[in-house]
Amino acid sequence: MSFKDILNSGKFAVTAEAGPPKGTDIKDMLHHMELLKGKVDAVNVTDNQSAVMRICSMAVSKIAMEHGLEPIFQMTCRDRNRIGLQSDLLGANILGIKNVLCMTGDHVSAGDHKGAKPVYDVESVQLLKIVDGLNNGKDMSGNELKGSTDFFQGAVVTPEANPIEPQLIKFEKKIRAGAKFFQTQAIYDIEKFRDFMKHARKFQVKILAGFVVLKSAGMANFLNNNVPGIRVPQALIDELKAAGKEKALDTGMNITARHIKQLKEEKICDGVHIMAIGMEDKVPEIMERAGLL
Amino acid sequence: MIITKKRDFKELRENIKNYKSFFLIGCSECATLCGTGGEPELKAMKETLEAEGKIVTGGIVAKTGCQVLGTKTELKKNKDEVDKAECILTMSCGAGAQAAVEIFEDKPVFSANDSMFLGNMTRYRMFDERCSLCGNCILDKTGGICPVTACPKGILNGPCGGCKDGHCEVSPDIKCAWVRIYERMKKLDKLQEFCDVTLEAKDWSASQKPRALTAREEKKK
Repeated sequence: MSFKDILNSGKFAVTAEAGPPKGTDIKDMLHHMELLKGKVDAVNVTDNQSAVMRICSMAVSKIAMEHGLEPIFQMTCRDRNRIGLQSDLLGANILGIKNVLCMTGDHVSAGDHKGAKPVYDVESVQLLKIVDGLNNGKDMSGNELKGSTDFFQGAVVTPEANPIEPQLIKFEKKIRAGAKFFQTQAIYDIEKFRDFMKHARKFQVKILAGFVVLKSAGMANFLNNNVPGIRVPQALIDELKAAGKEKALDTGMNITARHIKQLKEEKICDGVHIMAIGMEDKVPEIMERAGLL
Repeated sequence: MIITKKRDFKELRENIKNYKSFFLIGCSECATLCGTGGEPELKAMKETLEAEGKIVTGGIVAKTGCQVLGTKTELKKNKDEVDKAECILTMSCGAGAQAAVEIFEDKPVFSANDSMFLGNMTRYRMFDERCSLCGNCILDKTGGICPVTACPKGILNGPCGGCKDGHCEVSPDIKCAWVRIYERMKKLDKLQEFCDVTLEAKDWSASQKPRALTAREEKKK
């Protein structure tokens, strides 16, 4: 079943991430793909994540398909203008890529080419409209396409954004622009996420809660202090601290598994998105502990 | 106004190393307010150049250095000094420098400043950028705050995921443009407009370079 069909059938969906490497040696990436094959419903292929130059997401999405994984082609507006974006969307679609995640993209100042000219000709909401147009046989200028695309398009949302109101308004704009599914920034507070879902359930969209595994109390504090839209509650930090250095990662994996289990059992959202960030090999084990395998 | 910054003198020294004599042109408008092209700066530049063994034949603070004909007229009274100089050193913005290029066909023109942006003066010699001169204003739809300029990504429909406690991921010194717009529209009781309106991608053809404009009305015959 395709990722779209899984979500539409009401089955709890699980997605993970495949980060393209910097350079042409893709051995490790293929190994990670092998670990995820048959376990997750789709993998997000990041687009020069954190504005660090790597292999393009289209090529790796194609490779993922060849290795038995359904890709979610991530597309940011940082590096291409509207001509480049539409051209790549058409290209991705003829390669068989069906899922696209539309984002504005991390600023070049975060990456490894700080002198690059940031493009941002359009942004996430407008990119969603572009995809909707291509799906309906029209390019952004209204020109007729010879053959339309058949994308299942999604976007991102930050349930823990502060302030939350403008973020929720943008969330609605993304839905109106055609977003069918959302993957969220990492969440750690299920009760707060439940509040967000109460709002999100007013709309006909599928929501996959984002997870980043905590490796230590130090990492949790770092996320709280440095990463926008992430808030790890003190109780979890205490839990990691109490576990001690050696058991911290194991505890972090348990926390993630426990949260995923709760979301699924209480039908709080439609699926989860596990961002492993250097711990791709742990994803199957987390899924097992969460009762997903 | 056009915000200018003095170029590093080492760079300027390299650019002018083959020339001996200079005529200086400042500007009484923006460059004077920026402290890069008023009387005190011309005087300081003269001293610096003389300390380097150069000759300064003279100088003026043009009323509006970017106005080609006006500056040309003003310079008439300095004809002798200008004639004695091998080259011109402008102490204004890039527009002022290129007005001099147009006026002096046979003399090299060097610029002592870098032109930075169209800025507002917030306090004495403190400037920030609020307008990008995009040629296609959307302020009436964004609570009077320009997201094309105030948001590093130029986002037109709300904050990105990089907004942390109302500040921008690019720099904590920048308040998130969309949080500012949201707060202002809320205050103006225009929040519904913020919710309902999705701004279309901008038409960048209005900022295709080089731009030119004829604003005068042709006389009727």
